[in-house]
Amino acid sequence: MDRLLAKFRAPKTGNPHLVRIQRRDKIIALVTARLRLIVALLFIAGYAWMLILPTIPTETTDKIDENALLPAQINTQWNWDEVHAADRYLDQLEHLRDTNASSAERALYLQTEFLKLGLDASTQSYTFSTVVGDSTGVNAYALLAAPRTPGAEAIIISASWQSRTGEGDGTLNLRGVATVLSMASFVRRYSHWAKDLVFVVSDGYLDGMQAWLSAYHGVSQPNLLADNLDIATSVVWVALNVDYPGHSFSHLGIFHEGLNGRLPNQDLLRSFRRISRQTGGSPVILYDHIDNRDNHKSLGMLGSMLPSWLQTPILSIPQVRKYIYHASNVLQHANYQARGIGSGTHALFHKYRIDAFTMYALPATGPHGFHTLGKVLESTLRTANNMLERLHASLFFYMLTSSDFSLKIGMFLPSVICVSVAMMFHGLGIWTSAGWTQIAATATELEKSKIVVARRIRPTLPVLAIMAMTHAVGAVLFYLVNTSAIATSSFRQVLVGLVIATLPMVLSANPKVASAQQDEDTQATVAVTLKALNICLASTVISILSVLNFSLAASLAVLLGVTLCIPIPSGSSAKWVAYVAYSALGLGWLAIPGEVERMVWGWQMLGVWTCPIVCMIYTPLVLQAVIVCKLT
Amino acid sequence: MILLPTLCLLFLTVAAVENESFSEDVALRTLPDGRVATTFTFNTILEKEAPRDPRTLFDDQDESQHYTLFPLSLGQVLREYAVTELHLTLNAGKWDYDKWGYPSEPDVGSGASLWTWMADGAPNSIDARWSGLRNALAGLFCASLGTLDEQRTTSPVIPFAPEGSLPDWGIPHRLRHASLASEHVCTENLTPFLKLLPCKGLSGIASLLNPHRLFDADWHGMGIHVLWDPAVGVQVRMTFQTVTNPLRAGNIRKEDWSFRSLFDRRIERVCPVASSSQVSVGLPSRGMYNLKPEPHHITDNMGHYDLTKDFEPMDVSIKWKNAFEYLLEPITPHPMPISFRRMLHGNSQDRGQLVVTLDNHLDNAIDILYLETMPWMVQFYLHTMTVEHNGSVDNTLLSNLSYIPPVPHAQPATFQVIVTLPAQAHIKLSIDVTKAFLRYTEHPPDAQRGWDLPPAVFMPLDASPLDAKNETLTTYPRGKRIYSSPMLVDLATPDFSMPYNVIIFSCSLVAFLFGTIFNLLTRKWVVLKLDGEKEKEE
Repeated sequence: MDRLLAKFRAPKTGNPHLVRIQRRDKIIALVTARLRLIVALLFIAGYAWMLILPTIPTETTDKIDENALLPAQINTQWNWDEVHAADRYLDQLEHLRDTNASSAERALYLQTEFLKLGLDASTQSYTFSTVVGDSTGVNAYALLAAPRTPGAEAIIISASWQSRTGEGDGTLNLRGVATVLSMASFVRRYSHWAKDLVFVVSDGYLDGMQAWLSAYHGVSQPNLLADNLDIATSVVWVALNVDYPGHSFSHLGIFHEGLNGRLPNQDLLRSFRRISRQTGGSPVILYDHIDNRDNHKSLGMLGSMLPSWLQTPILSIPQVRKYIYHASNVLQHANYQARGIGSGTHALFHKYRIDAFTMYALPATGPHGFHTLGKVLESTLRTANNMLERLHASLFFYMLTSSDFSLKIGMFLPSVICVSVAMMFHGLGIWTSAGWTQIAATATELEKSKIVVARRIRPTLPVLAIMAMTHAVGAVLFYLVNTSAIATSSFRQVLVGLVIATLPMVLSANPKVASAQQDEDTQATVAVTLKALNICLASTVISILSVLNFSLAASLAVLLGVTLCIPIPSGSSAKWVAYVAYSALGLGWLAIPGEVERMVWGWQMLGVWTCPIVCMIYTPLVLQAVIVCKLT
Repeated sequence: MILLPTLCLLFLTVAAVENESFSEDVALRTLPDGRVATTFTFNTILEKEAPRDPRTLFDDQDESQHYTLFPLSLGQVLREYAVTELHLTLNAGKWDYDKWGYPSEPDVGSGASLWTWMADGAPNSIDARWSGLRNALAGLFCASLGTLDEQRTTSPVIPFAPEGSLPDWGIPHRLRHASLASEHVCTENLTPFLKLLPCKGLSGIASLLNPHRLFDADWHGMGIHVLWDPAVGVQVRMTFQTVTNPLRAGNIRKEDWSFRSLFDRRIERVCPVASSSQVSVGLPSRGMYNLKPEPHHITDNMGHYDLTKDFEPMDVSIKWKNAFEYLLEPITPHPMPISFRRMLHGNSQDRGQLVVTLDNHLDNAIDILYLETMPWMVQFYLHTMTVEHNGSVDNTLLSNLSYIPPVPHAQPATFQVIVTLPAQAHIKLSIDVTKAFLRYTEHPPDAQRGWDLPPAVFMPLDASPLDAKNETLTTYPRGKRIYSSPMLVDLATPDFSMPYNVIIFSCSLVAFLFGTIFNLLTRKWVVLKLDGEKEKEE
């Protein structure tokens, strides 16, 4: 360190300003001379950081930041009478299921049951039309006006008709609905509610709740036709979503990712975890991932990915098992967050500033049932009822590695930022060197060894035009995939992908682009300039996204980070390989069966950004790399 | 020894007869949804007296206030500020008009609400007296009425017309009205209320006012109403209304009630100074029931008990034969002429939309006066106001619009419009609003749950004639105020839980920006020659 400082230390004599300028030049020279090394180190640091995310020493989720919540500090009143009531509701719901009751019949039944309890109840029918298919349904909802309060605030307790198991593949959430009904009959006996309680049984998986929430908040959506609600709406801070698809359950799982990567305040999840453990006596897990560290046979997908001969020796190390368990949680989180569609019905609440999560009763043969779930739900309701103000402490940016441990934003954000910075340095490096050229040392009075450099023009405008063009192509692609002709036909999707993949060839054949490739002594090539700007743009996009949707930014960092930065091979056949590889990277998603349909559905139904981001940002960025490849 | 208090009592009674009288009354009725509405009314009349003329406020001598039954502490306040008419209500809960019908006492808006008529022309301004009155009542009733300041005071004359008469002194009378939706009502407000009664809470009907049970009711509210009638005198009407839910407790499936179950008390003795003391019970029109004891007389489906005659400790109870079942259909005919909902849509912190839906349940058109006294935090864009009638826009349904715009940081808006509701119509009135950005000192130091907006007031106007054939419609009260529930609005709020992070972060940013620019502006630019390589080149 001393030596390093001595290097920059000003000599005792001389003009201090001059010394400062010299010192600055020295530092710049030092950095630029080692730019490749710095970029490489940043890349390695960034990717390594992502890999070790599951092992970073983490914060436990014991501490509750909001003092008003007071979780698990009540004696619950939910008892076997309520369990019996829930069982009776379940019988009737099963009867409705077995008789193939229509949405309207189900909603009518639910409305009648709510009315029998003395609640204000109503139904709402809705129709969504998207290019990948329409969906209709009828929601049922009820309002318990809290005694002694003016009814300006509310808590929502919801269950969707279809469980999140299989993401709406038809598994029904009958026990969840029965729990909500029984809870409605239970809570009206108490006068300690400070907020109105709204019970919602939404039809379908996500569509019903989307229609209900839009109507509740007076938000209109062009492709949605829904009835207005018959209850006066008020401010909602917290919503609890119940999902109980099985016969009994062994663990309660937390699903918390919202649309576009939004997360609920972690205090809510922490309270739920504490309540579930202390009041309900049920273990809490993240998602449906059971912590099976005692049993190496079932360590999930990650464990089984290892070759069989390696499994026993490696999996016998406890740290490895812990890593695998945490990593599977982190991967699942990244999957939900990056896709933007969220992990359940609760996902739809977050954009209205409602903290919501799904308590998922993991199907098992036992030991828990309505008794545990009801107690946990009652206690969580009481905790939400205690709130004097919205959950506001900055516990919105976190990553759960298990239900017990979480990473703060400072622990995971730098990984993506490292990659982004590396890309930015690399891009700026290319940009700078594109502005200079070596000229032959013609002047004889100069020393032979001296390299002489001169400024040259960078063709910025044509390059920006090319970049704008790729994004315009992206916009066209976005329009095309949102048409029913393409969204529903995987053949046409592949066709569109192939057409777009040929566009760089058409572009490079354009005489104007070809003529832009002038004398390299006076002007940098289009390819080099494009590459520089492309990498800089990609880096900027990743940095910005990292605070909005970390997992999406991390996915882009993995997909684009090194791939955009590596030099284009020089051989002609290698170039073609690169061309095809880049095209596959940028347009390959069009060929994944069902992926386009899912993205389009998410965009048109729920307003998930994934489709526009992929079409208008990700694909154009890779297309620019393809053009670089073609022009080099 | 026993004779002495009795003699005093006798003397008091005699004194009261001279120019003061006190009567008490409690009415109970079972509501269609199984709840029980109770209204306590305590009337004290100061006969042949008139309110104080404000022009005499600075005279040395006011008339002596020798009251025996009339509450002295309230009387002093009334004379000090020369109040002609006063209405103070402190309510908790949401009055569900669609299920419960019209309340016996019309002022049921949530929170605290105060409105007075005072004569102008006094040496000190009406606003100064209004401010003094607020603070005096705040002290008297332990309520935060002091915060009903200029930012909440309005003067909507039409819906708040005087209940009594205004003396003709040749000077105009003015209305001052303010409400505070976030005020909580509890036992600290009941204690001073009871102190104003001649028998306190010790005997008579007032002994039923047991705070443990009253404040557990689904809805409860107290009111003090002072008005003047030239034929009678100055009248103080003190009311306490509750809506209790007998079906709430445990697994009871019947809406049975008794004084014991509702108030955990019974009437042990009468108030000796009460000139009349009456218990009325609404006789339900459905089901088989048993009312005990037998009413003394029955009028208009009401059983009456006169406590002043042959009194023995009393516990009225009503028991049903069959279990209660909630109605699965709305009540017909609807208990109200109109239903309404008021909502604030939009989840952003700067814009929103106020939506009011109105349903006319009558077979004839009806005019509704709609009043908003909106704090300046929420400002209307009047040009965006639209009315949809059964789905299509029809702005002709609005008339007589008057709007006093708000003054930011100072004065609320008063918005008043007459809406014509065609027969059986569903009307949706919407108006875009902007939410103000508050100065940071304007945020209260409490937990930030949002800002309570006062209830809107709807008032059916008598203009539309009633259908004489349809007798059920004639039972609709006309020209009475209907209160919506208050709303909560989210304004842009800094995160006060971490001010230092914010201060440090923003200060660093400002220092960095300022420092850089200041440095560039004040630096002296000189040409420096780098020695070494450059010199060699030369």
